[in-house]
Amino acid sequence: MVSRSRRGMLLLACVLAGMSAVGFAQAPSGKLVLYTSQPERDAAQTVAAFRKAYPNVEVDVFRSGTTEVMGKLAAEFAAGQPRPDVLLLADAATMETLKKEGRLMPYPQAKVDGIEPSAIDPDRTYFGSKLITTGIAVNTAAKNRPTSWADLAKPEYKGQIAMPSPLYSGAAAIMLGTMTERPDLGWTYFEKLKAGDAVAVRGNGAVVTAVANGEKAYGVLVDFMAFNAKAKGSPIDFIFPAEGNPAVTEPVAILKTAQNPAAAKAFVDFILSDDGQKLAAAMGYIPARASVGMPSWYPAGTKIKLMPTDIANVVKDNNANLKRFAQIFGN
Amino acid sequence: MSAQASARDSIEPLALLWALVAVVLVLSALPLARLVLEAVAPGGAWSMQALRSVLANPTTWTATQHSLVTALGGTALATVIGVVVAVAVSLTDIRARNAFVFCFVAPLLLAPQVVALAWLSLFGPSSTLLKMAGLAPPLGQRNPLYSAGGIMLLLGVQYAPLVFLTLRAGLRSMPQEMIEAALAGGARPLRVLRTIVLPLMTPPLLAGVALCFVSCLGNFGIPAVLGIPGNYLVLPTLIYQRLAGLGPSALSEVAVLSILIGVIALAGIVAQDALLRRRDFRTVSSTATARAFELGRWRVPVEVVLWTLAALVLVSPLLALVLTSLVPAVGVALTAASATLDNYRFVLFEHAAARRAFANSFGLSLAAALAIVLIAVPLAYFLVWRRTRALRVVALFTEIPYAIPGVVLAIAAILVFLKPLPLVGISLYNTIWIILFCYLGRFLILGLRPVASGYHQLDRTLEEAAQIAGARLLRRLRTVIAPLVAPAAAAGALLIFLTAFNELTVSALLWSTGSETLGVVFFSFQQGGDSQYAAALGVLTIAVSFALMLSTLSFARRLPRGVLPWRD
Repeated sequence: MVSRSRRGMLLLACVLAGMSAVGFAQAPSGKLVLYTSQPERDAAQTVAAFRKAYPNVEVDVFRSGTTEVMGKLAAEFAAGQPRPDVLLLADAATMETLKKEGRLMPYPQAKVDGIEPSAIDPDRTYFGSKLITTGIAVNTAAKNRPTSWADLAKPEYKGQIAMPSPLYSGAAAIMLGTMTERPDLGWTYFEKLKAGDAVAVRGNGAVVTAVANGEKAYGVLVDFMAFNAKAKGSPIDFIFPAEGNPAVTEPVAILKTAQNPAAAKAFVDFILSDDGQKLAAAMGYIPARASVGMPSWYPAGTKIKLMPTDIANVVKDNNANLKRFAQIFGN
Repeated sequence: MSAQASARDSIEPLALLWALVAVVLVLSALPLARLVLEAVAPGGAWSMQALRSVLANPTTWTATQHSLVTALGGTALATVIGVVVAVAVSLTDIRARNAFVFCFVAPLLLAPQVVALAWLSLFGPSSTLLKMAGLAPPLGQRNPLYSAGGIMLLLGVQYAPLVFLTLRAGLRSMPQEMIEAALAGGARPLRVLRTIVLPLMTPPLLAGVALCFVSCLGNFGIPAVLGIPGNYLVLPTLIYQRLAGLGPSALSEVAVLSILIGVIALAGIVAQDALLRRRDFRTVSSTATARAFELGRWRVPVEVVLWTLAALVLVSPLLALVLTSLVPAVGVALTAASATLDNYRFVLFEHAAARRAFANSFGLSLAAALAIVLIAVPLAYFLVWRRTRALRVVALFTEIPYAIPGVVLAIAAILVFLKPLPLVGISLYNTIWIILFCYLGRFLILGLRPVASGYHQLDRTLEEAAQIAGARLLRRLRTVIAPLVAPAAAAGALLIFLTAFNELTVSALLWSTGSETLGVVFFSFQQGGDSQYAAALGVLTIAVSFALMLSTLSFARRLPRGVLPWRD
């Protein structure tokens, strides 16, 4: 009896040892270089959680605004030696451009079942990790409460609107591309906003500060920033406009030139995994994997109406869009 | 024997000269050359397309015009403020001079975007100050600072200390005898100022004005905060926009635009050099310390005006920053119940990068200031006293890294240093050394200008006497020349330290984990919408810098006279 059970234990130990040996052989290790435009705190949390799951991987992260990340990357491409293994950037249009230049590595084995299909590149070169929608932020002391995008163009909102400049923010560029394609909004909408003295500031961080400060009563803003500020006590509310919210997916992608593709794939897997997605929800983002639940601010039982975006069109028209925007809002 | 000595005396200067040329070329010209290459030959193939498309774009010329207008306006304002303050502090008998100088120089410590935000919140509807006084303008009112005038105002306020510091270093060696003689001869103080002081002070004044112009031209922080919402584009903000644009052509266009800024900066510098060359400004240095002008019954009014200015440029933005740092979230009114030190706790204890950033920024700024002074003292010696022609052209290169936006300099550095260095096989990229390299190239001019103006004012007789007595160049530099230009060199070192301490745009692209700078951390907070953390970090930065400035007083007695601008 005793010896049999001991033999069983031994067998079990062997199996366990074998499994862990196999596990170690496959476990990615070494250094992973990540470039991201996530806000500082979120980037730090994401990396910490990834390292918990893959303790053998050292993560070297460069975090900055989209402009800085793209500038650094462009210089590295020009010098012929891009450093990052993975990118985690705000919008699919940027990824699409990189893909066209042949910079991205396809990862067909990525575990994407359960992930919102529209967020994933059919060629599996980039994968949307969450949904960041743009709506209307309102200072709680504001007189009116807009219910639609069209409201913002009305005379009573004159001089009180801030929005992120698409010349600086990837999410705002997608918003511009999405809205100008719609017959109910189009370029005339932006011309009306300009006539109403709306100002385009540098990025969403500047919008949330302006609206929470009361410098502007209304702001075009990404959802999580408004709700995170509100949770901390800022006098700010967020409205889902009737026409729907334009959205970006904050995709993750592997560079073709990655030095550590195994770790890069592990990072992509982690971002798309239940744990990674739960983390995104905990940080206030709508996860790409609906089954992990929604962030606490999410209006229970409802579905946010999204404005559909034709990424291919946005990429094609992006430079023309930005130029036209600069002409309308420039002097 | 003597033939040998004289041979050595001619080899030594030559070796030093060539070493200096090499250093300047590596620090300034190498990154610029790489950038020009990117403009005309992106990816290695010659192409004039970027050049054509940028120059044909009307936006380029609008931004150029805006840049010129705001830079000239900002420089004019800074010059007026800087001259008035320098003269009042150095030549009159106002009281509490040292404390005033302290407060007046301090805004340099605040990153431009901090100042801009503080002023905005000062005049905005959310102004904690105005709210407490019940004077806050209604929600949604357009802030008057979002305009060309607002940009000029803040540039002027930000860079007035540049004019002040260079001019003050010059006034330290102003021969009091000349002023006293004129006063004794019956000349009114204003006339003395116009006919004696200002003409003699032309070199430091022009040096300050030139630095100021280049600073205004290259400033990104202020037009980014005030110009983008007002849709008032200048060249640095235009460059930033192009960088965010998609596609591979972005880099070449950015390079072309940067060259445009460089050309404007050089035009200003060449004009200044032409003005300086026409006359001789040398005087024999003086030891008199008496204040030339007794203000009498005007003393109190002048003091009131000066302290009001100091309050406006430092205390009010600082107060706004302090108040923001005490609320739990942006927009919460500050009351006894809502006040919290949580933001400080987070920045100091929870955010590891913020602590590292203090150490990094301090080390980088100190190293840059010291190294640049060591380069600038011999370099300016050859430039001004030996009038080495070839060097004058080389020295022009030092202007450009300071004039172009930091982000472009960073890109140039990436292009140069991404691959391991030839021969040694080490890569500077992704280490703190690449940031130091950029700081040396970028801030060289901040040291070179004040030092050069110091040489312009000094007579060479002392050095010549030492030479006749047999002292060779290196010895003369150490024992005769360095003490003479010490006040100017210290002004330069201080400018470099203060400017580098809060620098953002260069390090924004070059930092890596472990080599964060204060500017990078501050920017990260702000970008994520966490202005209250950014404010706490800003307040801490100022507190640390003030402590550093105060600590210099403890060893001030061992420094040459006139080195510290806040000590008589």
